[in-house]
Amino acid sequence: MGRLKVKGKAGAAKNFTTRSQAVKKLHWSLRFYSFLGIFPREPRSRKKANKGSSAPTSFYYTKDIAYLAHEPVLKKLREHKAFAKKLSRALGRGEWSAAKSLEDNKPVYRLDHIIKERYPTFIDALRDIDDALCMIFLFATLPSTTRLPREIVENCARLAAEWQLYIMHTHSLRKVFLSIKGVYYQAEVMDQTITWLIPYSFTQNVPPDVDLRVMLTFLELYQTLLGFVNFKLYTDATLVYPPPLDAKKDDTAAGVGAFSLQTAEVQVKKAAEKIKSVAVDGRTVTGKDVRQTIKSITAASGEQESGDSEMAELEENVEEEEAFVPQTSHTQVASDLPTLQTLSSLPTSSTSNLFAPYTFWISREVPRSVFEFLIRSFGGRVGWPASSGSGSPFDESDENITHVIIDRPSVQKEETPAQRDLRLRRKFVQPQWVVDSINASKILLEDTYAQGKSLPPHLSPFGEYNGAYDPTAEAEAGDDVDMSDVEEEEAEEAASDDEETEPSKDNVEAALASVTEDPATLRAAELAAEAAGMDYGTFEAKVKKASKKSSAKSSKSSKTVEDAEKDMNKMLMSNKQRKLYEKMKYSQQKQAAENDKLESRRRKLQKDKATQ
Amino acid sequence: MANSNPKKTSVKRKHTEKDDAPAVAPVTLKLSGLEMLTDDEDGDDYNPEDDTDDGEVDDEDDDEDGDDEDEDESLSEDEEDQDEEEEGSTEEDSEVESDYHIFPKAKTVISDITGQPKKVYPEIEPDYDSDSSTEEATNRVGDVPMHWYDDMPHIGYDINGKRVLRPARGDELDKFLATVDDPSAWTSAFDKTSQEEKPLSSEELDIIKRLYAGENPDENYDPYEPMVEWFTGKGKEEIMPLSAAPEPKRRWVRSKWEKQKIMKIVRAIRAGRIVGQKPKTTSKYEVYSIWSSEPSTSAPPALPAPKRALPTNAESYNPPEEYLMTEEERKEWESKDAEDRERDFMPQKFTSLRLVPAYDQFIKERFNRQLDLYLAPRIQRTKLNIDPTSLIPKLPSPSSLRPFPNYKSLNIRHPKGRARCVSISPDGNWAASGDEDGVVSLWEVNVGCEVKRWKFEGKIGSIEWAPRQDVSYFAVGVEETIHFLIPPNVDSTTLAQTHALLAPSALPSAGPTPSPVKWTSTSVSSWSNDKPILSLTLPPSSGVPTQLQWHKKGDYFASVSTGGATQNAVWIHQLSKRHSQAPFRKIKGAVQLVLFHPTMPHFFVATQQYVRLYNLAEQKLIKTLMPGYDRKLCWFDLELSEKPYKVLKYHSRAIRSLHFHPKYPLFASASDDGSIQIFHSRVYNDLMTDPLIVPLKILRGHQITDGLGVLQVKWNPKQPWLASAGADGTVAVWCS
Repeated sequence: MGRLKVKGKAGAAKNFTTRSQAVKKLHWSLRFYSFLGIFPREPRSRKKANKGSSAPTSFYYTKDIAYLAHEPVLKKLREHKAFAKKLSRALGRGEWSAAKSLEDNKPVYRLDHIIKERYPTFIDALRDIDDALCMIFLFATLPSTTRLPREIVENCARLAAEWQLYIMHTHSLRKVFLSIKGVYYQAEVMDQTITWLIPYSFTQNVPPDVDLRVMLTFLELYQTLLGFVNFKLYTDATLVYPPPLDAKKDDTAAGVGAFSLQTAEVQVKKAAEKIKSVAVDGRTVTGKDVRQTIKSITAASGEQESGDSEMAELEENVEEEEAFVPQTSHTQVASDLPTLQTLSSLPTSSTSNLFAPYTFWISREVPRSVFEFLIRSFGGRVGWPASSGSGSPFDESDENITHVIIDRPSVQKEETPAQRDLRLRRKFVQPQWVVDSINASKILLEDTYAQGKSLPPHLSPFGEYNGAYDPTAEAEAGDDVDMSDVEEEEAEEAASDDEETEPSKDNVEAALASVTEDPATLRAAELAAEAAGMDYGTFEAKVKKASKKSSAKSSKSSKTVEDAEKDMNKMLMSNKQRKLYEKMKYSQQKQAAENDKLESRRRKLQKDKATQ
Repeated sequence: MANSNPKKTSVKRKHTEKDDAPAVAPVTLKLSGLEMLTDDEDGDDYNPEDDTDDGEVDDEDDDEDGDDEDEDESLSEDEEDQDEEEEGSTEEDSEVESDYHIFPKAKTVISDITGQPKKVYPEIEPDYDSDSSTEEATNRVGDVPMHWYDDMPHIGYDINGKRVLRPARGDELDKFLATVDDPSAWTSAFDKTSQEEKPLSSEELDIIKRLYAGENPDENYDPYEPMVEWFTGKGKEEIMPLSAAPEPKRRWVRSKWEKQKIMKIVRAIRAGRIVGQKPKTTSKYEVYSIWSSEPSTSAPPALPAPKRALPTNAESYNPPEEYLMTEEERKEWESKDAEDRERDFMPQKFTSLRLVPAYDQFIKERFNRQLDLYLAPRIQRTKLNIDPTSLIPKLPSPSSLRPFPNYKSLNIRHPKGRARCVSISPDGNWAASGDEDGVVSLWEVNVGCEVKRWKFEGKIGSIEWAPRQDVSYFAVGVEETIHFLIPPNVDSTTLAQTHALLAPSALPSAGPTPSPVKWTSTSVSSWSNDKPILSLTLPPSSGVPTQLQWHKKGDYFASVSTGGATQNAVWIHQLSKRHSQAPFRKIKGAVQLVLFHPTMPHFFVATQQYVRLYNLAEQKLIKTLMPGYDRKLCWFDLELSEKPYKVLKYHSRAIRSLHFHPKYPLFASASDDGSIQIFHSRVYNDLMTDPLIVPLKILRGHQITDGLGVLQVKWNPKQPWLASAGADGTVAVWCS
């Protein structure tokens, strides 16, 4: 006889640890496990894993927890706990020097090895960067409080700006969506599609039911991750990392413009690059113009003047960088084997410079940070009034401005000839035009988006599930016919009510009812129609309708037969299959109902509009 | 210690040597002190120990740590010495002033009265020192407890030895009035010796005030007296050492142990174990090329977090209008909990971008995402992206499996009671049906014309045609009896054979054991079509025989009775021997159906839970099949398992009847839901091919009455036609 089996000593009961057990063992909160790459697991049988109890708990692999017990970060965290105790004691006793030395030797933990462990390759890291970006862009805009130190906010803002700079520099933005939650951006970096969401620039307040500690724990990991990712991206693009920050510009709300991108060999190659850029880029001419015009402008304050000149320099820099880009990207493409994704993304190179021929002026009510990023990502030049922050490369009176992004209702007022001239030369568009053009990857007609006009609906560029309701599709032909059918029938009914006495009409109807594909009967019906004195057009329409009806009828009957057979065949499905089938059918029906609802609503809206 | 003790003894020795009259101790001490000074000045009595002692005090800073204890002790000794000396000096001072007299000198005066000289003491000044400093106290009892005089009229004696009478003390009211009248009452205190309230003097009040303020009560006390420098300062240096002990070596030789300790640290510094100024901890987020090296572990990375669903049109700030919620939808959305909502946001439309407000749930949503990331188990699921119709098994179309009953061709009505049973004759021309009213009707299958009707007392439980071709009769189970009826219009040869079978002229001899079942036959001569030719009477209270099952040869038949009180419900009857026997002495569970195996001597008995298979020849149990309960049709493979090979659950109510067609590959099932289901079934000889079961047709047409639908189905043995008896009193024939 073999050894007696004892319950709870082997199998699932041993392999799984509940979360409270794990916390008890490691003496550290759960939120730290997650960034160590340990997640709850779903046991096959919860009851077996929980020693017969069916209480709701989450489970971890026991081996995972055992592995975590040796994690250096946890050790450091424990040291930090001890340090915090020592420090508070020293402060309580008023031992200032001891406290200072403690503070100097404070244990610092780094998360490098975790990044390396969780993301063995750079692509893995890029694939998982969506959440990191969302969090960092959120925290970059949060006000610093006692719970949220200023350093964190500043670091987040820096990382976010660096990321945006890179995207602008490489023109890798693909899609933008203005939603009610914020602005969704989708970029393609190293063939990875990355989507992130930035809230509109309002002060966000942390609600009381949100545990900021959890968010900060994640933020720590995300900051480290994004730092490494940015470093890798910048160095791959032969840019200096971190990009030097001009503190003065940063203080005057220059935003992204406060950073200056430098190529690694900028000093050496500067001269050569300039020539190249002239040869490659037609925009340098406009750049020169800008500089000249800027010089000619007498600014009201000396500060602004200096700012302008700085901006001009920056512009120069930007041009150089932009000239440098295609070369690096070309080499990259050449070095990598062309995959299907790269091939499919190739044509986007033309759209990535969508706004290259244009110069934009952002009106002050338009969020500058969003539209500066968008326009520069697609190669356009952009300026803004001083009230939106310093660092605009040109001012409103610039000759080259082709588009003014304006979000104000149009007001009728007297204007000077100069203003009128300006207005005629420039195109005043609403912000949605920029986004829709990007999503359509072509310059849309400006007229529909002109100032003060009611906008066409803004649709998600990400699409919906397959077979979802498509608001752009015109009412289908069938629907149209149906609609007209209904109307016609109504009309006919009315007509037949009127002339019920006329027998010839009925004859035609009867003949038409029997119309099939058979040419002989069609001929007979035609004759009957002629006899009744019906004109050919109406007869044609009727024939069409009748044939449609009959075909629908026949298809319907065949369909019912098939359906009945299918229903019967369902009897022979196994239970599992049947449940799966029911589930799928349910979701399909739900989707179909949703689509129908939207469709009918649209039809109703159209009708209302038509009647008005 | 070593050098302090001798010093003391030496001092004492000096005392003894120099003092001639050591009568009064304080005085001698005083003198010795004076002498000591003179000694030092003279220098004739040099004491080296004292010198060293002083030196030690001076060199305190240079001393090693190891000597701390010694030094401390020596210091304390020094202090003691100093104290002693000071004491001596103060006493000396006072005595010098008072000229060595405690009391003032008396003058000798000649008395005027006596003429004798007498000592006259000077008046004692009421000084702080003097005894008579206090006010003249009338009461002279001294320091005795005053309660000794509690019972006396007096409180003591004055200086003249006369009684001091107790002063009169008023009651509480007087006291109070006194405090009111006398403004100084609150500064007076009760004097025990005079037993009355006495005002405090201004000095006393001053002392109280000082005590109250926490100061020294003495007015003249100065806590900040300038320090008198006795031993330091110009001209006060101790030139001569107090002790003569030689200077210890440690004063000039470096400590070996210290050196060792220092060398240890030096070596550690040289080796880099000790870093002078630790470099400041670098930034937490310092970056470098982390992905340039190979991954440290070969373990697969954790499952990547699932990406969030991308936003749809409804989330746009300016969606098409059809996406906006109607008023009811909005209300419903608002009334729901956040978790139950299908969408976490409400679609809104803004005419321009500048009107879009901040999204108030932004942080909350992010937070929920983080919670999901670390609290939700991550499972990799393969998403099924298939057409659900592909799950439905592909079966041949029913139209290719014709013939099967397709429509209702006949409807026979039993106006009273439910049609319980139906049976079709082996030649396929006649059908007999019975109802609960006791009516058995015989009709023609093709036209539905009723030929004959019998009426019995009680319910008809079952009807079954005998399977033999050469004879023509059927058995009817009615209320504990089984009747054998011969249909009318049978040709003469068949009739004769039937008569010979059912009512033979010579009855076979009775079996060895008498059976409780009685066989009674009417003679051929007295028989008419209306009467049964043979009747079996089952034991009393055995219930209605609900099933009659013929063996295929037509000699044996089994009957199952239900609703009876007796245990034994199954009987097997042998027609040729007119013998009945109960094959089972006792059966677990109520028997529902029995069946003869078509080819082998096997017998199936179905109870509510099990189907048991017996070998009749060997009289033993072969198998127990385990179908599920209710509503299920179980397809067993007897060679394979005791569990069903396939379970079909398609009827919504209990299945009442099931019948295989004897010739065509068809079977039909009838249920209480009023429908009849026709299947095509084929079993292949090839072991590799699964049996084919194809649902062909659902026949509907029977009404459900009292929760009962179709009660029995029977196939026409020659045609693919089906006869069904329903609880609504109709018997239908379904034709292809």
